[in-house]
Amino acid sequence: MYGGGNTFEGIKTESLASEDPTLLAAFEARIDRGEKIEPADWMPELYRKQLIRMIEQHAHSEIIGALPEGTWITRAPGFKRKLALMAKVQDEVGHAQLLYSAAETLGKSREQMIQDLITGKSKYSNIFNYPTFTWADCCFISWLVDAGAIVNQLANAKGSYGPYCRALDRICAEESFHLKYGHHCVIYLATGTQKQRDMFQEAINRWWAPMMHFFGPADKISAHTEVLMRWKVKMSTNDDTRNQFLDMYVPKIWELGFTIPDINLKKNSETGKWDYTEPDWEEFKRVINGDGPCNKERLEVRRIAEERGRWVREALKTSKTAYVMPLA
Amino acid sequence: MNSLDPRVIRLPKTGDPQNIQVKTPLDQFGTFEVFVQAKEGKAFQHEGAVHAPNLEMAYVLAKETFTRRFTCSSLYVVDTRNVHVSLLTEGEQNAYDSIDPVSDQSKEKRSFEIYHLLKRGKQHVHVGSVHASSPQEAMSIAKQQFNNGRIFNIWVVATNDIRFTSPEEKELWLTLPEKKFRDASDYKGGDKLQSFLERRSLESKV
Repeated sequence: MYGGGNTFEGIKTESLASEDPTLLAAFEARIDRGEKIEPADWMPELYRKQLIRMIEQHAHSEIIGALPEGTWITRAPGFKRKLALMAKVQDEVGHAQLLYSAAETLGKSREQMIQDLITGKSKYSNIFNYPTFTWADCCFISWLVDAGAIVNQLANAKGSYGPYCRALDRICAEESFHLKYGHHCVIYLATGTQKQRDMFQEAINRWWAPMMHFFGPADKISAHTEVLMRWKVKMSTNDDTRNQFLDMYVPKIWELGFTIPDINLKKNSETGKWDYTEPDWEEFKRVINGDGPCNKERLEVRRIAEERGRWVREALKTSKTAYVMPLA
Repeated sequence: MNSLDPRVIRLPKTGDPQNIQVKTPLDQFGTFEVFVQAKEGKAFQHEGAVHAPNLEMAYVLAKETFTRRFTCSSLYVVDTRNVHVSLLTEGEQNAYDSIDPVSDQSKEKRSFEIYHLLKRGKQHVHVGSVHASSPQEAMSIAKQQFNNGRIFNIWVVATNDIRFTSPEEKELWLTLPEKKFRDASDYKGGDKLQSFLERRSLESKV
């Protein structure tokens, strides 16, 4: 699972001036033809840099995203929910492995990516900096955060970089179970006792703001991404993805008799798009820069795991091996 | 640590959060390429890579990473360094065009596996095996035997370098159909939702 976040901050297109114009034209023509770029192909530095950044953030989001849900495995209601949640959390960690490999084909080592995550240099999806107080919070993530991630991932799977697209095809296929499982959990809460219904309503109230943040800052304030759209790195704007999510899921939330804590939320019959209260982008910035309720805990848990596994990795190290980039 | 999760609170304090140790090269080991056969009789296809300390561990991790879902009848892994790669071509160019004839009688012949990339953006697919003295010779023999149509990239792997699935290990995937809880089809909430909606619409009429 993954959100738009502030992946593409600070793009300097001036660096394009130093690229070979013939190679650049051939590269752009290939993308226009709908062909994929493979690791051995020539690519502009800006393309490489932004893709590494995006795929790496996506991988970190899978790892960190497994933490707020993983904590609920022992407390999930009943054996079947425990089995499903374990399988889901294992999927998320598996997805990180696929994504780290895809990013490696662009020339950043896995060691460096993990280092950048635990030192706080790299970002991950902002929504995982919020706590899961109740089982209903966990259900909100399984259903709606995964739904948001799938909207993003399905779009990105049509992007231009071969290894990333192949990883996303596999991820999307596996995540169809997450979405159905999450909806199933919510249907059970919605059709249950008043207490269960209240529990999910409170989860919506807590998570709606981070959910709106999930797709990244509004187009009018986000960084210049035109060149990345042309290169099929970014497949749709933050506002368009947000709108697509609202289109698909707001009716499903209302259908269950829940309310959404935004009095301005309604579909505009003229524009065909959703109107909503502008999310608090100052809070978004504050949290993504480290000052959220769980940032410290998430990175600390990851760092401790890294420390505790060190002796195992050292024991298994052999002088016979050498690093080579994965092939595709 | 202050957390909602008691297991996080109980985590042992280890290392210094202010002074994180720099990861050294190969901390995450080398890489291995993974090939999967989805069904008996179908060709093996490249699926991706895993990091592992050795070939045997690579096999175990490949099974976890690539065959938890969907059907699988067999799997194998090879060290990335043992995959010999041709030029990557585009448009009308065929990757075999850059392969010159090589004849090497000096060494004993051994078996090599050949893989083709038939469409850019897709996976490399196994097409057959040849006997040769070197990967270069294997590629030139493959050019005579398998060069049909447009091929964008060729991989050659010595059969001996591959960690295959043994016949007994094929049982690994027999339990997949029993794990329906990992399938979307196992989560049908439609009936429950429908009766809930009907109940609500009745209530609102009353």
